[in-house]
Amino acid sequence: MFSFTKEQKTFKIGDITFGGQPGKYPTVLFGGLFFKGKPDINKGRDHLTEMYTISEKTAVPGVPDFFIKKEEYIEPIIKLISQTVPDNLPFSVDFTDPAVKIQTLRTLSDHGLLDRTIYNSIHVGLTPEEHEALTRFTPSTAILVAFNPKDTSPDGKIEVLENGAHLLDKGLLDIALETRIQNILVDSAALAPGQNSGAAITALPVIKEVYGLPTGCAIHNVVEKSTWLESFPDERRIIDIASNVNIPVFGGDFAIFGPIEHAHTLFPLIAWQDILVSEYTESYFGISPSDSHPRRMFQK
Amino acid sequence: MKVDIFMTEDTNNIDENNLYLWGGDFVQGDPKNCVAVALLNTEYTPSESIALYGSLKTENIGIEKIVANIISNPFIRYLILCGDDIRGHRSGKSLIALHKNGIDENHRIINAPGAIPYIENIGEDSINRFQKQIEIIDLLYEKDHTIIDKVVNEYSNKNPGSFGKPFIAIRLQPQQTKSIDDKRALHSKIIISYMGKIKVR
Repeated sequence: MFSFTKEQKTFKIGDITFGGQPGKYPTVLFGGLFFKGKPDINKGRDHLTEMYTISEKTAVPGVPDFFIKKEEYIEPIIKLISQTVPDNLPFSVDFTDPAVKIQTLRTLSDHGLLDRTIYNSIHVGLTPEEHEALTRFTPSTAILVAFNPKDTSPDGKIEVLENGAHLLDKGLLDIALETRIQNILVDSAALAPGQNSGAAITALPVIKEVYGLPTGCAIHNVVEKSTWLESFPDERRIIDIASNVNIPVFGGDFAIFGPIEHAHTLFPLIAWQDILVSEYTESYFGISPSDSHPRRMFQK
Repeated sequence: MKVDIFMTEDTNNIDENNLYLWGGDFVQGDPKNCVAVALLNTEYTPSESIALYGSLKTENIGIEKIVANIISNPFIRYLILCGDDIRGHRSGKSLIALHKNGIDENHRIINAPGAIPYIENIGEDSINRFQKQIEIIDLLYEKDHTIIDKVVNEYSNKNPGSFGKPFIAIRLQPQQTKSIDDKRALHSKIIISYMGKIKVR
């Protein structure tokens, strides 16, 4: 367990605080919806309710991460967000199709939701059209993915943030700054097994000490991409969930944990881990947990 | 930056120790068969009588592995792409673009539609070899497994023989600029005290 010399930047979106010294604020958990198939809005609504319930019970904050695969899914998903995500909480939107990204930003702007939007994500594949859309319809917060196809080490990840690693004409941090995105989350880019997957975890304390920015990753992706684990179908789910513990242990601030269905197991696990981190960091570094920290809740 | 390409001496015998050194999510069949199949978003499983089949997911590291593994076996002369291309990544079309156009001075695959289509870990020699050694058969979005099987069989029977010597693409490594002498260091950029306090080195 760690504490950082560099001052750690924090920010709030509604009731959730991101960043800070380990042990101060709970790890924020991003649960994914609609990654497979056509979005089932009713099922999504149920999963959101379940996640918010377990979040309240454990004092671990949850953020729904809505995957929007096609343009035709934008309206129903944003309607679900408007109806179901409480006004005091953020949400993230996740996509791969450039046209969907641009149209989603425009629609979020039309619905007045950009101040609670976490844009997932800006990476070296940024197109001029996406850049322009981000300038016109600027979300309050963006996740910068430090993926460097040339150098998957923590140094390569920093290179992408700093100068774009020759894949962009400037670093992701400068791009976020010039688009006037207020809040930055750094994703240390977990890759598949065999692709230096552990570097995403090592990079958490490195990036936090270099920049002081809230940092996390989707470490469960490593498990999800493992074909070797196909020999262990029953254990796979628990390994996927348990992999997230690496993030608070290494000083990270948030975990993008994959299927929201895993929330009921993961939230108590992370609450327990956050308590463990907090007990050490308060004892040795004098970091008192915030009023909303799981440790306060379990001490009641 | 280290750039290093090896060619082995033997042209027609397979040295299994030097096959497919880049690893990945694939199944090996008959190494002297001339067909490899890249699967994208599909349930289709080819016959194990072909040389190699496996999944393609990303338009950068995934493509690099396919190129490096295929050129390690000169008997592979046809690469069949099947399944639905991956939304956003467009890995299938990006692989076709690499074969057709190569990369530009920034290592970006020319005219690739993928989000991050950069080839950073293998040299242009490997790409040139890939372009010359194999022909790509584009069956993207073909749903009918019978048709795919028919094409796979048709190309398997062509048997044009070995392209020549195997070509082993050595991974380009970024140079290590700092040495780590602190036993507790997690990374060269930071120092960690025995209690867990981190500071920049």
